[in-house]
Amino acid sequence: MLKSLSTRLLQHLLAQNAWAAPMLKPCAGKSVQLNFVLFKISLVILENGSLASAGETNIADAVITIPPSLLPRLIAKDASAKLQIQVDGDAHLATTVAKVFDQMRWDYEDDLSKIVGDVPAYKLGEFARSSAGTIKQTGVNLAEMLSEYWQEEKPMLAKKRHIEQFNADVDTLRADTDRLEKRLNKLGQAMATRAETSHSDKSEH
Amino acid sequence: MTTEHNTHFGFKTVAESEKAKKVAEVFHSVADKYDLMNDVMSAGMHRGWKHFAVSISGVDKGDKVLDIAGGSGDLSKLFAQKVGAEGQVILTDINASMLGVGRDRMLDAGLNVPALQCDAEKLPFPDNHFDCVIVAFGLRNMTHKDRALAEMQRVLKVGGRLLVLEFSKVWQPLAKAYDVYSFKLLPLMGKLFAKDAESYQYLAESIRMHPDQETLKQMMLDAGLNKVDYYNLAAGVVALHKGYKT
Repeated sequence: MLKSLSTRLLQHLLAQNAWAAPMLKPCAGKSVQLNFVLFKISLVILENGSLASAGETNIADAVITIPPSLLPRLIAKDASAKLQIQVDGDAHLATTVAKVFDQMRWDYEDDLSKIVGDVPAYKLGEFARSSAGTIKQTGVNLAEMLSEYWQEEKPMLAKKRHIEQFNADVDTLRADTDRLEKRLNKLGQAMATRAETSHSDKSEH
Repeated sequence: MTTEHNTHFGFKTVAESEKAKKVAEVFHSVADKYDLMNDVMSAGMHRGWKHFAVSISGVDKGDKVLDIAGGSGDLSKLFAQKVGAEGQVILTDINASMLGVGRDRMLDAGLNVPALQCDAEKLPFPDNHFDCVIVAFGLRNMTHKDRALAEMQRVLKVGGRLLVLEFSKVWQPLAKAYDVYSFKLLPLMGKLFAKDAESYQYLAESIRMHPDQETLKQMMLDAGLNKVDYYNLAAGVVALHKGYKT
């Protein structure tokens, strides 16, 4: 039942994003597993370039591993988070599917217009967009406020300059330690040479 | 002395040559009430299963599709809409009564779907001809399933897909309830709605005699199909198998 529903949803989204089918078509018959660690979703690319849930015994050609900690950053469109996605197997296939998901958009106004008509759908869409904008801005403000509180009032989070200073101090300490080690080695060698010389002098006398 | 091979007809054992005749009697008897009974028996779910089969077939505009044991033509109708005017769907069934119902429905819907009476074990089509072959709730009635699957593989193009939608092995915790439904309620419903308890008793028995998900998968692999995968629908009451000709 779940596979049937998810397949219908995926195919509906792909029908709204007609550019995706020609991109996926060359990979027809192949399957991709999206591994979110806590749960996995396997998808198969169909011959007409659409996507469907894979069956019970499917063996994926590519596995895209996305740790749960990365999801909020990906949703927030953090480009550096994409670099941390792990890909195993057919890299071209995984890249294509990832690109499709990245660029796919749900045209909810189009769906809504079939139920309530064009004008109410547009108005509802406009309201949803402004609400989403407000919620996003409020979320960002709240996150910034909490971050500032933790940094200034309760130093649970380190400031960037403090971390950089700490890293620099660690580097300096490492370099100092290396130099000290070399000096000690040199000193050890010098002492050993001196001991040998004095020993040979004594034996000559 | 000649040795006659036997096969199953529901829970009964009959001569192989007898099975097709007996199955024909069953479907001749239920033909006019087939759709109503399907709706009653599956609580309308058979429509969702068929839609799902079409949605994962990967069939596109211009494709050629063969609907085997298509009976009342539900799938042919859905596929005809998918392939469009430039594609082709052929509806086949071994049973003339069932095919008649399907042919009339296609005509009434204004669809150009040829209806052809033929045996799935001897398909009258050339090799490498279809993009997709589907058999829905028909394979279990075939006497030599292996021969039928090999024929379906033969008529598929390279890259073509075979879809088998069929009753299968239900999820174990539901097995008891499913037994009660199949052997008590189903014949009763057959008696009430189609005035034919025996035919529906056969349907319940034939479902139990049909191979489970993994066995059918292996049979499809043996028939020369590749990348065979299946979907359990309604907790395994029905399974949809999909295999590729490569």
